[in-house]
Amino acid sequence: MSKDREIVVDDMGLAFAKTMTIFTIVGVVLMVIPAIAYFMGINQYVSLTEAHKYWNMSASEFWMHVTGKKITGYAWIFNNLDKTDCLSMIGVLILMITPLLSMLAGAVKAKGTYRILLLVASLVFIASILAKSAVVAGAKAGAKAVKAKVGK
Amino acid sequence: MDWLFWPLFMFVFTLLIGIISPVSGVGGGVLYVPLATVITPFSVDFIRGAGLVMAVTSALSSVPYLIRKGLANIRIFAIIAPVMVVTSVVGGWVGLWVTNAYPSGKYVIKVLLGAIILLVFFIMILSKRVEFPEVREEERDSISKKLNIWGEYYEPGLDKIVEYTTKNTPIAIVTFAVIGFVAGMFGLGAGWANVPVLNLLMGVPIKVATATSMLIITANAPAIGIYMTKGAILPLIVVPSILGITIGARIGAKVAEIIKPKFVRWLVLAILFIAGVLNIIKGLQGMQVIPPILPGVS
Repeated sequence: MSKDREIVVDDMGLAFAKTMTIFTIVGVVLMVIPAIAYFMGINQYVSLTEAHKYWNMSASEFWMHVTGKKITGYAWIFNNLDKTDCLSMIGVLILMITPLLSMLAGAVKAKGTYRILLLVASLVFIASILAKSAVVAGAKAGAKAVKAKVGK
Repeated sequence: MDWLFWPLFMFVFTLLIGIISPVSGVGGGVLYVPLATVITPFSVDFIRGAGLVMAVTSALSSVPYLIRKGLANIRIFAIIAPVMVVTSVVGGWVGLWVTNAYPSGKYVIKVLLGAIILLVFFIMILSKRVEFPEVREEERDSISKKLNIWGEYYEPGLDKIVEYTTKNTPIAIVTFAVIGFVAGMFGLGAGWANVPVLNLLMGVPIKVATATSMLIITANAPAIGIYMTKGAILPLIVVPSILGITIGARIGAKVAEIIKPKFVRWLVLAILFIAGVLNIIKGLQGMQVIPPILPGVS
């Protein structure tokens, strides 16, 4: 290689890349390890034989048949973290927010307009995750479960 | 153990897609979703959810390296990401809403998916790639100048550092908004559309366009939440698919050095064409617009 100088990469880019590397590894590991336990039949929320029966149906029909209720929000994951298939979803969640964490890391190192743009992108990212009341629905379900427990 | 066949099938299937992708330059998602919809018994909801997780994970795995090499441009990403994040989520929500709100929704999605795949097919046939597009100073738009959008990378073919800048940023932002919507709606990833926009519209070198496209795909990540909150992401489909494509892509990178890319490109085009047509036929069949031609509509 006859480069007459090293290429210049922004500090914000390097911070972005480092954060993305770390959280992608964490996300994949947290997704795969519980999934292996799930495939081995350990503590399943949805048994593989049940899933097999209904996986040709739309997502809403599938969950009605398998659990008898409609899935909304993230409550079905957080309320069942002792189940291996739900635990595997934590890895997917980490992968989902990895670009957000990377943008925030990039914003810390960025200067001027790019700092603002990355912060705006991060806010839009968060708003998008909250959109359609996904978290609100999950929170409501969670609150309902807590109320039921307190009632008991 | 009847259930075991299809997860194993997904592993082998995505392994093959992973091998083909780096050789052909087509992202995994664009082959995965239409083919899995036709071949496997899974609902299109689960396939789109898995397709999106797969596309985002593949991008997350390769982007850090590409940034360090100067190939993926974070300045371009910072401008496009806010728009694309919003439209990809809206797209994901609309896709699931259509499937669930109407009895024939899943067939409508199949027809639309088939149409999009045929569009990708024609874009791939017609679009020319410019290896090193030249952007003259007077061609730069005000956003490009004001934000000093530029980058550089080492090009071994020329044995020198290539510097580049951009043009047509406002039109590109609008185009990326539409691409985000389609990507979110069909769980496709969006490399097939990102690359021509970056290369031909914005004037970015082809290698930078391909790498920055991967970076932009990560902006589709919030759409995963839409699928997750509807229960459309199942580990028994997602995990074998991700393992398959990750291992396959590593093999594909080696195969790319020995196989003729032209042959693979035409193979992929043929697959896309067949998948597009089959999706349209299956969708129209399910909607009872045409009489049954293909068996096993699901």
